[in-house]
Amino acid sequence: MKGLNLMKLSCAEAASVCTKAEYKEAGLFEKWRLRLHLHFCRTCKDYYQNNKKLSSLIKKANITPCSSHEKEVFKAKIKNGNSKTS
Amino acid sequence: MQENSLNPEKWVDRYADYLFNYTIVRVNDREVANDIVSETFLAGLNSMKNFKGEASERTWLISILKRKIIDYYRKNNSAKGQAEVKMHFPNSDDEGEWLEEKVADLSDMTAEDQMENRELGLAILECLDQLNEKQATIFKMKTIEGIDTETICNEFDITPSNLWVIIHRARTSLAKCLEKNWF
Repeated sequence: MKGLNLMKLSCAEAASVCTKAEYKEAGLFEKWRLRLHLHFCRTCKDYYQNNKKLSSLIKKANITPCSSHEKEVFKAKIKNGNSKTS
Repeated sequence: MQENSLNPEKWVDRYADYLFNYTIVRVNDREVANDIVSETFLAGLNSMKNFKGEASERTWLISILKRKIIDYYRKNNSAKGQAEVKMHFPNSDDEGEWLEEKVADLSDMTAEDQMENRELGLAILECLDQLNEKQATIFKMKTIEGIDTETICNEFDITPSNLWVIIHRARTSLAKCLEKNWF
């Protein structure tokens, strides 16, 4: 019985593993339990597929983030400008 | 929170990524984009008294940004006295003189694809701006900047499981937000 509980994964846990898996940070055992869960749970399976799609969209979008350094420069400029105007 | 008021201290955290991406797809140069965005913030500061509160802070800043981008192109063109037209003339020294070799490579991304991806990037950032700030920041750090879990946890003083819950929520809202146009 104890062994069975170890294998079971609630939907909330499955969602969490799903997310981790998208960042390649889910453990081997976790992933295996997720596979098992997806066999039985339609909702989580849909979620899993949607999640995969979201990842590919984000990858495709190729967003260029501002570096934190660039942001600091913006902030400093705003601060300077603010003290001048007020 | 009062609606449609201006908080310049928050501008960078809230809008910098969106404004920056909006600009960089239009000018194609990181440094120029940086200049234009910081000019936008400064112009915003200087004309704060003109803000009537009819539009959101975000819309207002974007409209300033659009004008700055147009200004940039105007200045660029007037300096040369005329619009720059770039044409690519094939050089006979290059390989591939046969017509077949000059046919566009279909595996290449077409201009249309590229445009769609830019739109997609802006749509994602726009959706992220609707999340709460902490969620959006953590999501961006993890997903777009690819910072590792431990660093983010230390910075925000949260546990890894907290982090995954936040990311999970952010992804769910993001998927919902994108659903209409992109899924």
